[in-house]
Amino acid sequence: MKNVSVKNRISTRGRLLGMAFGAAMLSGLSSASAQTLTVWSGYPEMAPFYEHVAQGLKASHPDLEVKVEAIALREHEKRVALGLTGGQEGITVIELSGSTATRYLENGLLPEAPDDVAAFVTDPQNFDTFFRDTASYDGTVYGVPLFRGQGALYYNTDMFKAAGLTEPPKTMEDYSRYAEKLTQRDGSGKATVSGWSLRLSGGGQGIAEKFWINMHQYGGAILVPAGDGKWKADFANEAGRKALKQYLENIYTLKTVTPEMPADADAFERGQTAMFIRESWVIGDIAKKAPDLKYATAPLPKGSIALPTNLYVAGDDADIGWEFAQAANSPENLVWLLENVGWLPNRSGVDYSSVTTKQPAFAAFVNYPQGYEFFTLPSIGPIEEILTRVAAQLVVAFGDASMASDDAKIDAFLKKASDEVNTILDREGLAAK
Amino acid sequence: MLKRKRFIFAILAILPTLAIFGYVRLYPIADTLRLSLFKWDILSRNKPFIGLANFRELMGDHLFLDALVNTTIIAFGVLLLTIPMALVIAALIFHRTRSRMAGFYETAVFIPHVVSLVPAAMAWKWIFDARLGPLNALLNFFGIPAQNWLFDPVLSVICIIVLCSWQALGYAVLIYIVGFKNLPVSLYEAAKLDGASGPQSFWFLSIPMLKPITLYVSVVTLVSGFNVYAQAFVLASDAQGAPGRQVRVLVLDMLENSFRNYRVGYAASEAVVLLVIVLVLTLIQFSMLRERGRI
Amino acid sequence: MTAEIATVDIGPTADELAEGRRLRRRKRLTNLAIDVFLVIVSLLMLLPLVFLVANAFKTPAEMLAWPPTILPRDPTLANFSAVLGETPLIRWIGNSLAFAVLSTVAIVATSAIAGYIFGKFRFGTLNLIFALFLATAIVPFEVYMIPLYFQAKSLGILNSVWGLLLGYLVMSFGIFLIRQNVIHSIPDELLEAARIDGAGEFWIFLHIVLPLLRGALGALAVLAFFQAWTAFAWPMIVATTRTSYTIEVGLALFQTGFTVDLGRLSAASATVLIPSILLFVILRRNFVQGVASTGLKE
Repeated sequence: MKNVSVKNRISTRGRLLGMAFGAAMLSGLSSASAQTLTVWSGYPEMAPFYEHVAQGLKASHPDLEVKVEAIALREHEKRVALGLTGGQEGITVIELSGSTATRYLENGLLPEAPDDVAAFVTDPQNFDTFFRDTASYDGTVYGVPLFRGQGALYYNTDMFKAAGLTEPPKTMEDYSRYAEKLTQRDGSGKATVSGWSLRLSGGGQGIAEKFWINMHQYGGAILVPAGDGKWKADFANEAGRKALKQYLENIYTLKTVTPEMPADADAFERGQTAMFIRESWVIGDIAKKAPDLKYATAPLPKGSIALPTNLYVAGDDADIGWEFAQAANSPENLVWLLENVGWLPNRSGVDYSSVTTKQPAFAAFVNYPQGYEFFTLPSIGPIEEILTRVAAQLVVAFGDASMASDDAKIDAFLKKASDEVNTILDREGLAAK
Repeated sequence: MLKRKRFIFAILAILPTLAIFGYVRLYPIADTLRLSLFKWDILSRNKPFIGLANFRELMGDHLFLDALVNTTIIAFGVLLLTIPMALVIAALIFHRTRSRMAGFYETAVFIPHVVSLVPAAMAWKWIFDARLGPLNALLNFFGIPAQNWLFDPVLSVICIIVLCSWQALGYAVLIYIVGFKNLPVSLYEAAKLDGASGPQSFWFLSIPMLKPITLYVSVVTLVSGFNVYAQAFVLASDAQGAPGRQVRVLVLDMLENSFRNYRVGYAASEAVVLLVIVLVLTLIQFSMLRERGRI
Repeated sequence: MTAEIATVDIGPTADELAEGRRLRRRKRLTNLAIDVFLVIVSLLMLLPLVFLVANAFKTPAEMLAWPPTILPRDPTLANFSAVLGETPLIRWIGNSLAFAVLSTVAIVATSAIAGYIFGKFRFGTLNLIFALFLATAIVPFEVYMIPLYFQAKSLGILNSVWGLLLGYLVMSFGIFLIRQNVIHSIPDELLEAARIDGAGEFWIFLHIVLPLLRGALGALAVLAFFQAWTAFAWPMIVATTRTSYTIEVGLALFQTGFTVDLGRLSAASATVLIPSILLFVILRRNFVQGVASTGLKE
């Protein structure tokens, strides 16, 4: 009781603070206006593109307000899952990869494309059948193809020169050999610049996706179709062993890379790695963050991932949404996309040469050799769960030095991981009999 | 008559709170228990009842078991690190209670408990950074080789324990200080007359007499340790440039199962496991307190 | 008895004086050692936050320098202007404030009423309800947050302050805290006297009980405010649009793009950190009192 006066003073101050907060709060609760179109994207670097498309629509729709909400992919996928099953309001253009969209299409949560849009998508002049199919479900068009993630090798030409290398690596054996030559070390032999940056840590499915890309070069796959809409794991074999062994060799035998070394585009831009495999957006990223970097790109030995991303539209009376999705595919906008963002547009019959001649790094993505084999993520519900679990297993394997020289151990590991994948497939009724 | 009127007032007054409470606490808790018996993927309309199948699957799910082990290690690690340190620091602050610095000590030790977690974790992420962090710089200075703090399977768990302890310490210290203030002064004076030194009376008097407080703080620390999530999320968050090793903890696995793998029923069964653990810990605390009361 | 008085009267001998001086000096030295130790501990506790603030002022090149610098060599404000320009940081802070204030109001209101009723109206039914409240206090929020999420969704309040609020409307501990205070600091006689004077129950609550609970409610308010301000798991799932993020979520997701810029991240973090530390220092006594009363379980 003796310090009542102190308390009183504090609570008065509390009230004052409260009033200030209240004012701040009211300003935060304003509601949306009338003609609004929301664009949900899982790639923050795509935001300027959608805004550019919106600018183009201003002429015919002066009242239209386009809100672009581009956040990190994982969070984006989460909000789509949650938004589509209820809380979603208004017209939303949703950017989703074909494999992720399947889950929603199976449950009838995304509307079919209107006839004119479907005609646009199915016209072979516009899109390759591969892109048409990934935007469709059961033969019906639901989405409008937009861009794809496709991998290629990025390499630092200065570092290549210093190591006496003139050509990009051609086979997977070359990759390891090159990595060894390219690694820069300090006096104690510890790598300071990685020869070949591999994805070795972090959360989520990226680790498994990158592993799949490498394994693809050896002819393996995490999942292969087994007919009848069923799937099976296909990496407890020679291809899987070779791919995993190459990772382990680079970490433990050649010591060209370690999990804690800076990795990915960031490291490449800062000259902390000599080469790495990534999608085309890195070209745009380098132009922005490290314009002076001397680098080139090359196709992968056998083929690449091609992960098409489509635009879907949710909401009632969504004509404007479809119009937006189609406008995004106008030649002018697609060229802008390639030039300013760097993701590869899927539409054919558009003249991209103005960009590709100016930026030769795109060549590896567009002018790939004959017989280059593409693969894509299966359009099945538990694909994320499968990749996440394979990724978790891989992280453990990457940390196990004893596996590097023990093929039997590698095989046992791959068997275990592959069994886990098959169990998930089985649980979801997707496993091949 | 009067009593009846008061009863009606009490019921009417409690009703709104009770309604809110029922809606935001009791109902979702009951719903968690219910969902754990179903297979539900958020999207589809059918939600089949599958009995205890979720729990059976949990027992063989190595990601879940990994999360359970990590979470348990983290919770007990934080406990073992925090409680002894808090006890000593609290004793010393209490000893210097009349000095001008006491307020500063209390504030400094307590601030980590109130600062937002994400900024704090950012700071620690930098400290632990294998290439640029001051911790490895310090180790180098003493000739100890640099460690891959956030990448090594063991060290990354230790990093989380350190971060959680840093945050939990202030709370424990504060509670202990209150405990010290409530100890009977006469007892210490008697001990002093018998020739007991400061450390002696701390060991033989304070520690036994603070046992109920220790139990209380232990349970609070353990329970919040079992709910660890943001720390693991931020220390290894998915930044592609330099992520760390993802230390899987229960809440993270739960959220991943419900919002990434769309397995809400399965996640609910994990929540039930978490609930059981917390209940058991609390029951142990109660029974230990009662035991002490009897003696 | 008399002998003792006699000694005191005679006064200490020279030996005793020397002994006293030595003891006092030893005590001073011990205290000094304790102070040094506590200062070191305090500084170590604050060090990560100091690092964070220092990093906020570093240039990108300096962030990558080895060995790391503690204080920035040439401080820059570029990180701050970049962060404020590129992210709706102010909006996120506003969301957090709105959420924390509303949550505080809700928790203080529900706890005050329920705590008073449970403390002074001893009916069997009420005791049962109170036991129920207490029992759920130990259930971690994370356990039931997923069903609660679906409730928020069916109410259509996701991505709004109201959705955030749903998880933070009541606090079992708050009810317990107020009930303890009511029992200890509000005499029954006071209430009876008012009743005899013909005061209504509601009037009594408003004009007699509330003013007496001011201190406890203040402590609870600070607790509730910081609880909401530092919430993470719940805002993380409820607020999924860039404009509805709380500051915690905004900061956590800030780095999940393709690149991490630690300097900017630190700038954003420091912007958030400094006001909350100031607020804590101002309200420290309230807070300490609030936390302290959690330990006084009986």
